[in-house]
Amino acid sequence: MDANRLSQGQMVAASAAIALFIVSFLPWFGVGGAAVTVGGTTIGGAVNRNMWEFENPLDVYLLIVMLVALVPAATTLFGGAAEFPLAPIATTLLAGVGTLLIIYQLFDHGSGASIKIGVILGLIATVGITIGGYLSMQEDAGGERY
Amino acid sequence: MTGRLSQGQVIAAVGAVVLLVATFLPWIGVSGPSFPAGIPVPQGISTGGTSENLWKGSTLDIYLAITAVVALLPALLALTDSAEEFSFVSAATFLLGAVAVILVIAYLTVDFPGGAERKIGAYIGLGAAIVIAMGGFRAMQEEVAGEI
Repeated sequence: MDANRLSQGQMVAASAAIALFIVSFLPWFGVGGAAVTVGGTTIGGAVNRNMWEFENPLDVYLLIVMLVALVPAATTLFGGAAEFPLAPIATTLLAGVGTLLIIYQLFDHGSGASIKIGVILGLIATVGITIGGYLSMQEDAGGERY
Repeated sequence: MTGRLSQGQVIAAVGAVVLLVATFLPWIGVSGPSFPAGIPVPQGISTGGTSENLWKGSTLDIYLAITAVVALLPALLALTDSAEEFSFVSAATFLLGAVAVILVIAYLTVDFPGGAERKIGAYIGLGAAIVIAMGGFRAMQEEVAGEI
């Protein structure tokens, strides 16, 4: 395993993808309201949900984004011969759209739900993947602009 | 107008139009209570089901809209006689279409709400996403063949 085999863009995208995976287990949304205690039993109350628990296709989408950023980097890192010519554009495009989807979720997350720290950190990590993908595109094109 | 478009771009554009139409068709439905024949329905109880399209409470709607717009981009540029060309549009159409297929399949299987029914819009949307991915892939191949 030799980290020098990775380009700067691949390194940034892969690091951000790992960060996004870790952040996905933090609370993203809070659901519910005040708890009521009746006879020593507490009913209701706010419940925090991480990215995987919130009923939304965003979890599947961001999993795809993480894989698209990580698989080419991991293959290069472990000396694989496989080539992924579409990987830089796929990483940039899918992570860019993922950024838009998370921003959309910030404004439209359903009534009764609140934003938690995970979604903000997830947004930052997804922007990081987009930047890493864009750097890879530029490195692949040798400075040629897309 | 279509003379400027490759076959793949036309296929993707048709898929995009169908996808946009499908998002306004019912994707999810809930059946009302059923009563055996001959038993009168109590007052105040409706036996009619409800159905909803995709534009309610899901990020899938925004994603599919973005996919459709990207797939339509070459056709829109041809329509406006624009000289603008984006080298990555075919690849983007293929990638977004392929991911749309995965997301719609995930929505219809693991992410689907319990007790609800899949409606016609979901199947048409899935078919349209497949067509967009195929059109994008064909457009990519045509671009490569054109460069050789």
